[in-house]
Order: sequence, then structure tokens, then C-alpha cells
Amino acid sequence: MDPFTQALFAFGEPAVFITLICATGIGLIIGAIPGLSVNIAVALAVPLTIFMPTDQSLVLLIGLYGSGIFGGSVSAILLNAPGTPASAATIFDGYPMAQQGLATKALRVSLIASLYGAVFSVILLVLVAPELANFALRFGPVEIASLLLFTFFVIGILSGASLAKGLLSAAVGMVLATIGSDPMLGTPRFTFGQTSLMDGLSYVPLLVGLFALAEILDESTRGFSQSIQKFSLDSEDRERNRVSFRDLKFISLPVIRASAIGSAIGILPGIGATIASFLAYGDAKRASGDGSSFGKGDVRGVAASESANNAVVGATFIPTLALGIPGDAVTAILLGALVLQGVTPGPLIFISNPQVVYTIYLSLLFATLLMAVIGYFAIRPLAMTLRIPKIYLMPSVALICIAGAYVARNNMIDVWIMLGAGVLGFVFNRTNVPVAPLLITFIITKPFEEALRQALTRSEGSFMPFLTNPVSLTLTALVAVAFALTLRRDLKRRHAVPNQKEE
Amino acid sequence: MSIFRTIKTTALAVALVAGGFTSPAAAQDSGWEPSQPIQIVVGFAPGGGTDQTARLIASAAQEFFPVPLVVVNRPGASGTLAAELVANAEPDGHTLLVGGGSESTSVPNHRQTNYALDDFKGVARVNREHMVIVTKTGSGLDTVEAVVERANENPGELAYGSSGPGGVLHSAFLVFAQEAGIELQHIPYQGGAPALAALLGGHVDMTIITPGDAAAQIEAGTVNAIATTSDRAEQIPDVPSLSELGYDVNLENMKGLVAPADTPDAAIEYLQQRFQQAMESETFETLADRANITPGYLSGPDFKQAMTDMSDSIGSALGDTPKEQ
Repeated sequence: MDPFTQALFAFGEPAVFITLICATGIGLIIGAIPGLSVNIAVALAVPLTIFMPTDQSLVLLIGLYGSGIFGGSVSAILLNAPGTPASAATIFDGYPMAQQGLATKALRVSLIASLYGAVFSVILLVLVAPELANFALRFGPVEIASLLLFTFFVIGILSGASLAKGLLSAAVGMVLATIGSDPMLGTPRFTFGQTSLMDGLSYVPLLVGLFALAEILDESTRGFSQSIQKFSLDSEDRERNRVSFRDLKFISLPVIRASAIGSAIGILPGIGATIASFLAYGDAKRASGDGSSFGKGDVRGVAASESANNAVVGATFIPTLALGIPGDAVTAILLGALVLQGVTPGPLIFISNPQVVYTIYLSLLFATLLMAVIGYFAIRPLAMTLRIPKIYLMPSVALICIAGAYVARNNMIDVWIMLGAGVLGFVFNRTNVPVAPLLITFIITKPFEEALRQALTRSEGSFMPFLTNPVSLTLTALVAVAFALTLRRDLKRRHAVPNQKEE
Repeated sequence: MSIFRTIKTTALAVALVAGGFTSPAAAQDSGWEPSQPIQIVVGFAPGGGTDQTARLIASAAQEFFPVPLVVVNRPGASGTLAAELVANAEPDGHTLLVGGGSESTSVPNHRQTNYALDDFKGVARVNREHMVIVTKTGSGLDTVEAVVERANENPGELAYGSSGPGGVLHSAFLVFAQEAGIELQHIPYQGGAPALAALLGGHVDMTIITPGDAAAQIEAGTVNAIATTSDRAEQIPDVPSLSELGYDVNLENMKGLVAPADTPDAAIEYLQQRFQQAMESETFETLADRANITPGYLSGPDFKQAMTDMSDSIGSALGDTPKEQ
């Protein structure tokens, strides 16, 4: 029997199949709980796999990983609290949609987009893994720094109604990102002697605070009043939440582009799903023309963000399998689990253990399909969450926020960070300063600084490599064009309606 | 097969399992008994090498302890957050740290930490991981000699990737460069994996990695293993050690249990005995083999001495370089 058939037949075994169903279901739930990230779920499952057969342990870990990322979008859409950092960009349009009674639709779009992104990247993985992996290695600090600079501009400038307020928010994000250790020397910066701050402010508490807690504080000022019934189960509501063929056509282009972006980012080491989803979101917004409906409940925003972060999942396996170099924290853990099974990923795995490779491909594919099935049936019950009166729902979410901030690192300081971020988010909302640029610059600044300084150390302080490197030059030119276009659009708008009050 | 027999068998099984918790296998009495669960603090997130050591030793040692052994992850600041916590913990034998790596031997030499190596007493070393210097195939740097020669021709041109500033990988290159009298450029990455990727992509000339992590690349012939930083490693027996080549470097990544310095000797003795028993057990052997770790038991004092030696050699390589505040 050839290795592929052998791997396929393994899925017929009840133990393997049941494990896959359980893993996918548990992954969805863990992904949906803010603070319990996919990484933790996968890491804690590894000891369970030591005495399992290889195929069973692989479906367990991959099932958790694949569905966990989709799970993150559930709480992002329903509660304004991303279950995983990768779903942060889903909030921008997902939560507004839920507020308009379109929660079910947002979740459906998220599921379809996730499915597409995941399948897209799995196909890429199957077809061109070794070639792409070797190509991605050529991306060094210079290219990565330019790519991240490009990301700053694509998203930073184009978000928010006012350039000044957007830049203010971005600046705050950048300042917050400098807290922690210097990436080259290890010198503590702005840590006030607190060892807990040496790694900088953690993602999850900051995210949860800025969005979920800020929203709860805002609601509390209105006494948690329930102005409108969030959504009912009558036929009119069902009709509105249906994802029509027109919707599918509407999101198809953003989804394809986002899947490509997610896959590309996934192959590059050390960038990750969070940045991929922001980049895809920015791209979808830019590609849509005026982009004014983005951030107010545009299905394309949800679709782009979710297809990108799921496309990262399959793509991170490309360097992991082909080179034995994990693309992110989760694949690093998976790599460890494979070693426990006596399999060493690397350039020779396709020859020495083809069956394991096929099992990974099939696990990714089946986990994705199962996620779609489970997700399909879970969406409506999940959306019911919003029918819980706010006076009960909001305090419960606050409790989850606090617990979620704590469990990520078992550290009390993260709870204070979350609370601080909540107040900051509240103030920003009240003063109409957009929160998104803060978050985006916060996430990008660290890898950007690292790559930039690696590049400059290598060139002994010279910026010449940025001008002589073709990738870097292209990206820099694109930044310049994007900046000029935004400036022109801004000036034009101001010209046309000189007295219009800024939103 | 009567139902009674089934019940009896079940009861026996239950008794055996419960027995594991209540009556520790005969170990010599040191006059100290744990009175509450023992915390094994890990300075890194679940899933890494340190976490793996902690979970392996905890599951193998559990049957020898009357109280539960609990692995607690307190990740942050390259493991120094957890080290600081344990250094300041109640020294009653109920709080242990998985130490011996960067946070114990390397980081305190590079920057100000709120603890020192002497704030800990060794309990038992569990495993020791070799480190091996690798270069890219085809770079012409196939031997240590070639590296030294190239570095002498172009001082400060050759770059090495590390897993982060202040870690034991970074220190190993510093000690080597000092011993060889050469000047190298340091490019830190966020962990060993990105550093290896940078080597393969040609963005750095060398990096250090464990033989296990390098196995796939060495086998495929994409990297050259040129020297280990302690003695020869079992997985790559043909690769010489730096000390054989005449460079006095003896650094490796150790993992073991340490306790706050004021922990009473009776408690240390009690713990050491049981962890030693655990490491001799079949469970541990099987687990260590599957996890691809290199067991290397050392008693508490010997483990402490090994850490001190490594720390001192890193300290002298850094010389008068002022610490990062």
C-alpha cells in the first residue's frame, strides 16, 4: 500500500476519527475563551500524545490548532473580546455587525472565510512546500523590516477618519511597544524595575482591555440599558442573517487576496497570524475603493481577517515540515510532539516519512472540514449569547476578561495591564480617537525594531541595503505611493467640505 | 469470571494507585517530610525544553512522594522572572525551580537581575543538552580552523545568530571568541529556530543549536556541525569538541532542580534522594528516550558546582564589560 492510502485509511479507525472530532470541538471552545490561546491548548495536549500512535497524536494536535483560530473569531464577533490575538482584526467589523443584529451572518461569513483560507493554504502546502520554504529563507532582516514598514503604512494611514487622531493613536501604540527589553542588548526599557515587564506588555490583556473592557465601561455609563432586542428568531431576522449568493460574490475577491496574504506571511518565520490578519484587513479596505463602510460592519472586513489568519495555519507547516524550522509558537510545540513520536521534520521527511507528511495534510484538511460542520451547527446557539440581557452578560464578560488576562502567564500584573488598557480604550472611544492604529503599531513595532536593528548591525549602521535590495526597494516605493495617495485624498476631502466636522 | 473477582481486581488496582501517593517507596529517612504539594516552577511557557524536563521528572518522581508534585509555568524575561520568584520564595522545600540553563549560568552575567546564582542550592541535575556550532554547507567554514582564519582576515565581519541577548548561546560564542582571540558580530533572534532559519538563508554565518534540533539539517547535509561546546555528543560522535581543538570552552544547557539557598539540608537531602530514584526508574528512562533528552544526573552540590563553573567562565569572558542596568 502506498503511503497516501495508508494515511487515508488511518482516518477510518474509530479512535483516530473520534479524537479528531473531540480535538476540533475542544479547540473551538478554547479558542473562543479570551486568554486561553491555541498555544496553551496544544502545549497541554502534548504530554497526552506521548503514548499515542503517531496518526492519533497528530490529529489531536492539528485539530486543536486549526479550530482554535476560528474559535477566536466567535468571541471577537459576539463579545468584542478576541479569543486569540489572531482574531483582533475581526473585531473591527464583526462586533458592529453583531450590534446590528447580524451576529449569525458575521459568524457564518467568518466560518466560510476560515474554511477557504485554511483549504487554500493546505493546497499550497501540498503542492509547493519545499520550494516555497527555501524561497522564504531568503527573506532576511532587510526584507522583513521593509515588509513591516509597509504594513504600518497600509494599515496605519488608511484607518480612522482623521489622519491626526490616527497618528496619535499609532504613536501611543508605538510607545507602549517599547516597554520591555531591548531586542539587541537585553537592556530593560520603561520597566521600572519590574521583572514581569521585561517581555513588554502582553498581547492578550492589552487586546481584551482595549476592546472588551472599554466596551463594558461604556455600557456601564448607560446603565446596561437594553434599547433594542438584539435579535429575534422570527423569519425576518433569519432572512437578514442569511448569507446569500450575492454576499459570497461580494466577499470572494477579498477572501482570495487575504488567503494569499495569510499564506505568504505564514511561510515567513516570526511574523504570525495576527499581523497577517491586519494586513489582509488593510488590503481589503484599500481594495474596496472608499472603504468608508469598513469598521461599521462590513462583511468583507470579517471575511478578510478570518481567511488570512486561517491561511497562516497551513502555511506555517511549510517551513516546519520542509526545513524543520517552526513558523510560530504552535508549530514549535508540534515539532516537539513529532520528535516525541520519533519523527524528525526537515528536508528529508518527504522521503523518510512520507506517511507522516500525508497524515499531517489530511489532518489539516479533515480538521478544517469538521470545523465547518461543527461551526455550522454551533453558530445559531452561540449567537443566542447576545440575547442574554446586558446587565447579566457584561459583568460575566468582565469576569472572563480578568481571568483571561491572568491565565495567559499566571501573572497578576497582566490583570492591571488589562484594566489600564480598558480605561485607555474607554477614553479613546469617548474622544473619538480610533483604537485600531494603537493596536496595530503595538503589534508591529517589536518585530520591526528587531528586524531593523538586525539589518543595521549587519550593515554596520548603513541604510544602503534598504536601497539596494529589490524587495525592500519595491515595498518602500509602494509606501511612498500609498502615502501620497492618502495625503491627496485627505486634502481633496478637506477642500470639498471645508467646514465638515471630523467624525 | 465472577463479578467479585472483577471488583477485587479493581480494588487492588485502586489500592496500588493510591499507594503510590500515600507511601513513598523506601528511601532513607532524612527527618524531613513535605507537608503540602511541592511546586516545580518553570520559567518558560508550556511546550518548551525546560517545561518538558519539568513534566518528565514530575511524572516519573510522583510515585516516590507522599504529596502531589505540581508544575507551575511562570514564563517571562528569559526565565529570570521565575528564578527571581523562587529565589525569594519561602525556603521550606516546597518550592523548586527548573534551573541550570541561561537564567542560572548566563543572564546574571550580562545584566542586573534581582537574584544571583548563589541564591540557590542544587537539588539534582536532570539532563544536559550539548550545544553544537553549525555553519552553512558551501560557506567554506567547514572547520573551527576555517572560522578562526576567516575571522582573523576580516575582524568583525563574521556574524553569529543567537536565541537572544544574554542567553547561554550568546555566551558560548563570547567565550569561544575570547579563547580564539577573534572578533565576531552578534545578531540576536527570538529563539533558536529563527536563528537557524537565518543561518540557512545566509543572513548569519554561524549559530549554536542542540544536536537534536540540528539532526534533520545535518542529515540532509545543509549545515556543517563544526564543534560542540562541551564534550562530544552521542548523536554526532564524529564532531570534535572545542576543548579538544584547544579552546577552553565548557558550556552546555543543563536542566535540573534548584531550591532557595536557605532551604534546610534535611529537605534538600529528602528531595535529592527521591529525584535520584525517579531518574533510575524505568518510567523516566522511557520518557527521556522518547523526548530525546540526555539524562545526566548530578547530586545537588555537584550540580551547583557545574553551574558555578559555567557562570564563572562566562563572567571572565565578559571581563570588564559593564552590565546592562
